[in-house]
Amino acid sequence: MKKLFAIAWKDAIIRFASSSELLFFIILPVVFTFLLAGGTPSGDEDNRIRLVVVDLADTSISREIFTELEKSTAVRPEYFPLAEAEEMFDARRASSLLIIPGGLDVASIQNGTAELDFRKQPNNMNATVAERAVQTAIRRVSSSMGAANMALEEAKARGTFESSEAEQVYFNESLELAQKLQTDAPERVTVIEGSTPDSVEYDPRANSSAGQLITWVFIPLFGISALFAYERQQGTLRRILTTPTSKATYLLGTISGQVFMALIQMSLLVLFGVFVMGLGWGRDLPALFVILLCAALAAGAIGTAMGTFVKTEGQASGLSIMAGMVMALMGGCWYPLELFPAAVQSIVKILPTTWAMQGMLDLVLRNGGLVEILPEAGVLLGFATVFFGVGVARFRYE
Amino acid sequence: MIKTFLIGIKDLKLIFRDRAALILMLVAPFLLTLGMGLVTGRFSGSSNTGIADIPVIIVNLDKEQLGNALADVFTVEELAELVEPTFSEDSEAARIAIDEDTAAAAIIIPEGFTRSVIPQQGTFDEEPEALQIEVYANPARPTGAGIIKSIVDEFISRVEEGRISGQTAIFQMIISGRITPQQGEQAGMDMARRLEDSPTDNTLAIKLNTDTSGGEAVQFDVLAYLAPGMALMFLMFTVSYGGRSILAEKAQGTLPRLLVSPTNSAQILGGKVFGIYLTGVAQMLILIGASSILFQLKWGDPLAVLTLVLAAVFGASGWGMLITALARTPAQVGSVGSAVMLIFGILGGSFISLEQMPPAVQMVSKITPNAWALDGFTTLALGGTLSHLSTPITALLTMGLILFLIAVVLFGKKNLAQK
Repeated sequence: MKKLFAIAWKDAIIRFASSSELLFFIILPVVFTFLLAGGTPSGDEDNRIRLVVVDLADTSISREIFTELEKSTAVRPEYFPLAEAEEMFDARRASSLLIIPGGLDVASIQNGTAELDFRKQPNNMNATVAERAVQTAIRRVSSSMGAANMALEEAKARGTFESSEAEQVYFNESLELAQKLQTDAPERVTVIEGSTPDSVEYDPRANSSAGQLITWVFIPLFGISALFAYERQQGTLRRILTTPTSKATYLLGTISGQVFMALIQMSLLVLFGVFVMGLGWGRDLPALFVILLCAALAAGAIGTAMGTFVKTEGQASGLSIMAGMVMALMGGCWYPLELFPAAVQSIVKILPTTWAMQGMLDLVLRNGGLVEILPEAGVLLGFATVFFGVGVARFRYE
Repeated sequence: MIKTFLIGIKDLKLIFRDRAALILMLVAPFLLTLGMGLVTGRFSGSSNTGIADIPVIIVNLDKEQLGNALADVFTVEELAELVEPTFSEDSEAARIAIDEDTAAAAIIIPEGFTRSVIPQQGTFDEEPEALQIEVYANPARPTGAGIIKSIVDEFISRVEEGRISGQTAIFQMIISGRITPQQGEQAGMDMARRLEDSPTDNTLAIKLNTDTSGGEAVQFDVLAYLAPGMALMFLMFTVSYGGRSILAEKAQGTLPRLLVSPTNSAQILGGKVFGIYLTGVAQMLILIGASSILFQLKWGDPLAVLTLVLAAVFGASGWGMLITALARTPAQVGSVGSAVMLIFGILGGSFISLEQMPPAVQMVSKITPNAWALDGFTTLALGGTLSHLSTPITALLTMGLILFLIAVVLFGKKNLAQK
């Protein structure tokens, strides 16, 4: 027992010899958790197509058009200065561009000179959708004007007016009537939301907290391989042969030390999740401990196995980072697994990160308990057993 | 100059012989790009790179003028690529289909809808009961359902415009005594016939001038955003790794030893920096070439891509030199470099699009070469050319220049060539 503790303590000293290790132990995981929680799509964000709008008129009519566009279920209008909007459009960063020219006002509508410029990228569906939304908005804003104009034309077709003043009075009265009819118009479309079950269970805070926890704990645990390579390169592993320390004691000391540090790191990240992000990590503490321990054991076992294949510390370090990042990505730690194509969802079940992520989401997202996480914990222990077996079988001091 | 060049080439060869470095320089970004392609469905053809073929079920129980016209709206050629309509007679079956997530929305046009809008002969003075078209929306497909609703809204706005115009004209003529109420019905029907014959857009009181004379249509490839994102993130590893070699040579004494030869410290440092720059360019070009061949990824105008790569590596190398100048040991460069690589990766948009980040993060991202370069690569993938890259290239070159100058001052203070 004393030997185990001594080996684990030695590894901790090596790992934290540089204060920069704290960057990877707690600072970067917290930064990533925080940024990804705020930045990943939550499902509540505005999914409408962005419509770049340049308002050179700045009149009540132009503002009314913008307000109508904001009501659209298809587009999300955003004001931009002309130069920036044109640059975005030319660089294909905007599918369409609506320019409301100066001088758009009631008078220009009345005398039939009101025009808007709409530019759209060719063969672009977003632009086609935006164009229709703009037409709808224009129609809503100008329909009473159009109706008054039409009423005037109809009246003129049936006889002339005594004076231009009489014509204007007729127009004004028609406009008033049209506006009243528009206001009194009944709602002709109703939207009923279906009861389609949302196939993506997702909370950006929970996913980010669990996903980053796994990412930043798996990478250093894979780094056990670098620890072995370092000691092998230094010759200190051979030196252990001269002491009454068995291979099992050495491996157990190294792995348990790293797993213990991983548990501390995970606890800190869980506490960050609970107190800063308001997540319910602590609803079932025994279940939480089981899933964290199983995940750490699985990752530690893979690191042990990797350590028997690599030759240098540099190789081991690079491989650990690469394997950790790729497994995290494919295991759904960065993006929800439910968004992956079906075939990929099946393939990634061979990864421990997938099971660790599902187990943690069972707890923090789906309010599960010990019973719910047992399958994932079992699979993770399976990974641990297989890879420890490989690691112990292949381990050599030299 | 030749000495500087030779030192640079020597460092380039050394890095490319280091298997450990190659893992993070080439294998990791390549595998992560591959993974990104898999999870986004880029390789299975299910990638959501644009809005197309939104499935919609149309149940036309009206079967009269307006109901038929609305159903026809969804079959016009202009919307052929946008919507994929199917027609049903059973409104309940359509709702169930939406609940089972087989379409984005169902449009149920009730029986008698046309009569509820257009007064029938002999009912001119009666107010018909307003019937509503039901858009049964799929909450799991909010964008598609929103677009379907907007198409229905546009149709209804046209219908309402016609109704209000007709009623205003007729009622106003009755009020002003130009026609009698008895003549109103006939006048209304005459107007409706005339309106039917005229193109609808001409009725808009504000004319919409549509210009589609832009460049050639380009389908955005999601991998064109992800691949440069990963390449740029690991470019930061390369530049800090190169910087580490400067301190390693100092620690091992080979740097002062070089001074024994007829080579001055500026030539040595210049050569080391040149080596880092060459390595970064080679890394980017290899990743670009590999993704072009293996993933059929179109990066855009080759000359513009090359120019952007040169500028991006210059900007990133500036950061690499600054980290090296600030660090005391090679290990410090390694750990700080890795941290900067990851921080710049997330701030620069390698993990998630910057547009989804809070405004403050978007502002901070401007200090990263990743954000500027990724902006440029996205522009090129969307069909942009070198002329559209003036802002990112200027930003990257300015960033690189400022950082190099700071690094040179710091190196001077450290007297790097002395052990």
